[in-house]
Amino acid sequence: MTINHRRSLANRSNALKSTGPTSLSGKRASSQNSRKHGLNSAPDYESSSEYRALVDLIAKEGFSVFACADIASGLLNYRRVMDAYYDTYTSPEPVDEFLRDVDVKASIPIFKELLSPSGSEPGDVREMAAFFADMQRLERRKGGPVSRRSADTHKLIRYQRNGIARLSRAIRQG
Amino acid sequence: MSVDHKVSSLLPFLSSPKLLPDESEAEFQSGLKSLLSELDNPSPLAVALVSQLNESLWWIKRHTVDKELLLHEAMARLLSKAGNHWDTYDNHKVSEALERYLNGRAEKDEAEWIGEILAESKLTLSDLRVRAFKDAAKHIKMVDDLIHRQHQTMRHLQRSIDSIDYKSRLIKRMDLELAALESKQPVTGALTLDDKPS
Repeated sequence: MTINHRRSLANRSNALKSTGPTSLSGKRASSQNSRKHGLNSAPDYESSSEYRALVDLIAKEGFSVFACADIASGLLNYRRVMDAYYDTYTSPEPVDEFLRDVDVKASIPIFKELLSPSGSEPGDVREMAAFFADMQRLERRKGGPVSRRSADTHKLIRYQRNGIARLSRAIRQG
Repeated sequence: MSVDHKVSSLLPFLSSPKLLPDESEAEFQSGLKSLLSELDNPSPLAVALVSQLNESLWWIKRHTVDKELLLHEAMARLLSKAGNHWDTYDNHKVSEALERYLNGRAEKDEAEWIGEILAESKLTLSDLRVRAFKDAAKHIKMVDDLIHRQHQTMRHLQRSIDSIDYKSRLIKRMDLELAALESKQPVTGALTLDDKPS
C-alpha cells in the first residue's frame, strides 16, 4: 500500500464529510457544477450583432422579413448546438483511474484507521467500503474515454434534431 | 460574387466547425470545396448550409473511427482482465501493445505476451473480438445512433439547399417573364392599368 494510495483514500474519505461551500462565491461557483452544455437556456439572439448581420444578408436572397428572422435565429441556434456537441465530444468526463483500480477489500484496514479517531463502529467501516465499491462499479461501468464521449454526445442528439428541424422548417416555409 | 467570397461573407457571423488537433484542415476544406463545386452559383445561405453538410460528413467519419476504438478499448479491457492484470486495467500499455499486435508491428516479446494472455484465457483473437463486441454493444449502438442522426441532419440540409435553389430559380424565372411581358407590351399594344376603357 503506497503513501499516495493511502493519501488518496484519506482525501476521498474526508471529502465525504464535507458540507459544501460556505462562502457566497463558493456557492455561486458550485451552483454551476451540474451545468453540462447550457442548451436548455433560451439565448437572446435578436440583440446580437451576428443576428442582425445575418438577417440583412439573408434578406438579399428574397426571403420575407419574418422568414429572415427565423432563418437567422435557426442558423445561430444550430451552430450553438454543434459547438456544444464538439465541446462535449472533446472533453468527456475524465476517467478516475484511482477509483477504477483501487482494491477496495485491501483498503479496509485504511478505512478502519481513518475512521477510528471518530470512534466509529465496524459497521461504519463496512459501510464506507461498500460505498467505495459502489462508486468503483459505477466508474468501471462508464468505460474508457471513447465510451464516455460516445455516451455524453449521445445525450445531445435531441438538441441536434430540434435545431436542424427548426432551421430546415424556417428555410422551406420562408 | 465568387464562392470563396460568399463563404467569407456569411461565415464570420457563424461559428465555424472546429477540428480536432490531429485532423487535416486541408482535407476538411477540400471536402467543402468539392461539395460547393456541385452547386451552380450558390447563394451565401446555401454556402452556409453546405458548410454544415460538410461538418456532418466529418462527424460521420469521426464516429466511424470511434466504433473501431470502442471495440479496441473493450478488447484491451478484456485482455487485462483475462491476464489477471486488473491492476493495470485498460491502461495504455495493454491498449498500445494490442494495437501494435493487431497491426502486425508488435515486438517479439509483446506478441508473446499477448499470445500468452490469450492462451491463458483459452481465447483466440476472433473470440476476443466477439466478446469485446458483446461488451461494447451498448456504446456501439450509441455511436450508430449518432451516425444516424448525422444522416438525418444531412437530409434536412439537402432539402433546405434544394428549397433555396428552387426559390432563386423561381425568382429568376418570374423576373424573366416580367421582362418579357414588359418588352411585348408596346408591340401588342396591350392595355395598361392606367388606360380607361372607351
